[in-house]
Amino acid sequence: MPEFQINTQKLQNGVMFITVSGFLDAHTFEEMERTINDLFERNSYRLVVDLSRLDYISSAGAGVFIGAIGTAQENDGNIILMRPSPNVKEVFDLLGLSQIFTFADDIDNAVRAFG
Amino acid sequence: MAGDVYRDRIIISNDTRFLSLAREFTQRMIRASTLSRTEESKIILAVDEAVTNIIEHGYENQKDGTIEMEIEAGQDQFRVIIRDSGKEFDPSSIKDPDMDDHVKKGKKKGLGIFLMRQIMDEVKYVFKEGVQNELILVKNLKKKPEEKAPSA
Repeated sequence: MPEFQINTQKLQNGVMFITVSGFLDAHTFEEMERTINDLFERNSYRLVVDLSRLDYISSAGAGVFIGAIGTAQENDGNIILMRPSPNVKEVFDLLGLSQIFTFADDIDNAVRAFG
Repeated sequence: MAGDVYRDRIIISNDTRFLSLAREFTQRMIRASTLSRTEESKIILAVDEAVTNIIEHGYENQKDGTIEMEIEAGQDQFRVIIRDSGKEFDPSSIKDPDMDDHVKKGKKKGLGIFLMRQIMDEVKYVFKEGVQNELILVKNLKKKPEEKAPSA
């Protein structure tokens, strides 16, 4: 099983780019949650999450983004999800989250989504 | 269930680190069945959600205890039976979530049962006092259209 990994990188305009790989489930979601909470504590509320290398997500993983998007938006930010695989996107669809989250195909479109 | 049934069983420890074993076992059984690859990832997700609920709610994240998974891959149905000895927990008592409310209140949990219901054809719960809880997830298999007999 691929190891779960998160990397963060600062882009222009204070946008944080988060790359997630591996399996985001009830075993690993706390690490994702810690990463987002740490960014919020440093007043970073504009987050682009690259899901292209994420093999799997369960509701525990999606719950991290559901729990955080409200805080991001209240602070003039957002959580933009980038390039999920069909399997990962399907979980967001099944949960009825595709209308709540903005999905982007590349970094330029993701950054542009902040307006 | 009619016809041949391929059946197997595993027992995992009550710990989220073993969710990967539950998923791998489910995948192996799906691949021994006639379920399509498009159904595969969804059924693995439903099983993951069921096992996660047992670990988090049934056993309340205590590390002792075990979870038994039995899967029957038949010609008509794919049945997953999950047994545990944790706290009684009936998924049918849980309402479907209001996602806007989840987002507004920053709620992260309570979505697993909704997913199980979305994906599986049946989600049944049996509580046997002093023995164990049994959660049964069923996916009905689509029958291939029967070949028409050649006309005379």
